[in-house]
Amino acid sequence: MIQLFHVSKCYGRCAALNDVTLRIDKGDCVLLTGPSGAGKTTLLKLIFGAEFPDEGQILVQNRNVARLRASDIPYLRRTMGFVLQDFKLLPHKTVFNNVALPLIIQGASTFDTNRKVKEVLAAVGLGHKYSALTGGLSAGEQQRVCIARALVNTPMILLADEPTGNLDAHLTEEITELFQSIHARGTTVMLATHNNQVVEQMKGRIVQLHSGRVLSDQEGQV
Amino acid sequence: MKRIMYLLGEALSGMRANRTSMMIGVVTTAFTITSFGVFALLYVNLKNMVGEVQDDVQFIVYLDEDLAHDRSQAIKKQLQSESAVASLFGTTQKAALEDFYQQFPSESLLLETLDENPLPASLTVTVRPGFQAPDTISAFVANVKALEGVQYIRYSQEWIDTLSLFVRYFELVALVIGCILALATVTIIANVIRLSFHARREEIEILRLIGAPSHFIAIPYLVEGSLLGMLGGGISLVLLKGGFEFFRLEFNGSGWFHGIDSTLIFFSIQEAVLLVIGGLVLGCGSSLFSVYGVMKSR
Ligand SMILES: Nc1ncnc2c1ncn2[C@@H]1O[C@H](COP(=O)(O)OP(=O)(O)OP(=O)(O)O)[C@@H](O)[C@H]1O
Ligand SMILES: [Mg+2]
Repeated sequence: MIQLFHVSKCYGRCAALNDVTLRIDKGDCVLLTGPSGAGKTTLLKLIFGAEFPDEGQILVQNRNVARLRASDIPYLRRTMGFVLQDFKLLPHKTVFNNVALPLIIQGASTFDTNRKVKEVLAAVGLGHKYSALTGGLSAGEQQRVCIARALVNTPMILLADEPTGNLDAHLTEEITELFQSIHARGTTVMLATHNNQVVEQMKGRIVQLHSGRVLSDQEGQV
Repeated sequence: MKRIMYLLGEALSGMRANRTSMMIGVVTTAFTITSFGVFALLYVNLKNMVGEVQDDVQFIVYLDEDLAHDRSQAIKKQLQSESAVASLFGTTQKAALEDFYQQFPSESLLLETLDENPLPASLTVTVRPGFQAPDTISAFVANVKALEGVQYIRYSQEWIDTLSLFVRYFELVALVIGCILALATVTIIANVIRLSFHARREEIEILRLIGAPSHFIAIPYLVEGSLLGMLGGGISLVLLKGGFEFFRLEFNGSGWFHGIDSTLIFFSIQEAVLLVIGGLVLGCGSSLFSVYGVMKSR
């Protein structure tokens, strides 16, 4: 599903990723861990086509992201959901409109849009905030809106960057369960996190990054 | 459906958020289109006038004094047989005198002091439509002039020629000025749209992140530009119509323009619609220009 071959990415002088080779199969659940600045976000962005690698190749669903034409990237992104570390929500739009945006872009019918948005908002526990402006929500709520937006078009791949960074223990557990159920549906999940609670609960494959290198890659346990 | 609503909504909210620059854009667009419209209006009227003059091209053949009756009849017959002649209208010396009295009663004394009627008999020739090209007419007129018994011919060809030449120059000038004004409009609208685009760059980044293709992102701005241009065109149309009516009222009967004011015309409905559509096309084109310029540079 996702393959990285000797991928390197530099921002100026410092190498954010250094010779990373990874293979993620369909239906995998990968937990990216590592200290701050290890390159977790960078890795996810590369897969998402938000950044281009300086070296190496990235294949996502057999498409070479590094060589993709700019006009094809939107279509690649529609098959993926991305929960961003800094939410990137539209503060002047309602929760509904934020979450519905990916569907509107794809030209879904009004009926489908309404149904799916309600479904996914209920799943993240925001059913009641339906018509609130996103800008007025707490950080935790915004994070859940962001998760809902990533899930609304039932992506094949879910990339999540610190999806529980602003949530309390209880909500973290709930959201982690949500990710688990999404994974159970067959979605490939890739999750970057510092949170040990999430790592323990998810019981996935753990990829540890350190200064842009893969330190360890093990199944199951910490 | 939802997508269309969304795109329209985005365009409108963008216009609202960017109200001041939108206003400036509309006003400047209206101004430039109005300036162009004034020229177009002048052009349309000039052309109309030339057309009206050319519609019945006439010349008057004055016959020699004391011409024998059968000679004048012969000339008349010959002219009538010409294919270029649509109609012929003869005026005898006596009739010419009566006409003169009728038209200038105050000057009648002038003629009464003379024993003889100084006015020549004449033939007014109206040229058939197919023969109205300047070259054809002058050749024909030269022929008629050569006939025996013809004194002289009054033909206002030069005036018509000058006028149509003027119209042709005017066409060129209007084209050049139109181009310059269009360029100015494009620059202004493009900048307004660029501002609007810039104000929402974060939003655009988000749209890109969730898989919006470029055209989806561009459409609200194109709609914005089109609306802006259309509004400018509409306002300028209103201004032009107002100015036109004012001009007509103000100069009606003021001697100078006497006779012209009745023939003044405004744009036809098609031309008016064209003006507004022109604004729309300008607006849409310039936002296309600006949006794709910005997108490429990202
Ligand atoms: N846009 C950028 N410009 C310059 N340097 C960057 C940029 N993005 C990331 N970096 C650098 O790349 C390195 C890896 O950053 P990255 O965001 O991937 O870390 P991370 O593992 O996600 O950290 P955290 O856990 O704090 O989110 C860091 O040293 C960072 O300074
Ligand atoms: Mg990060």
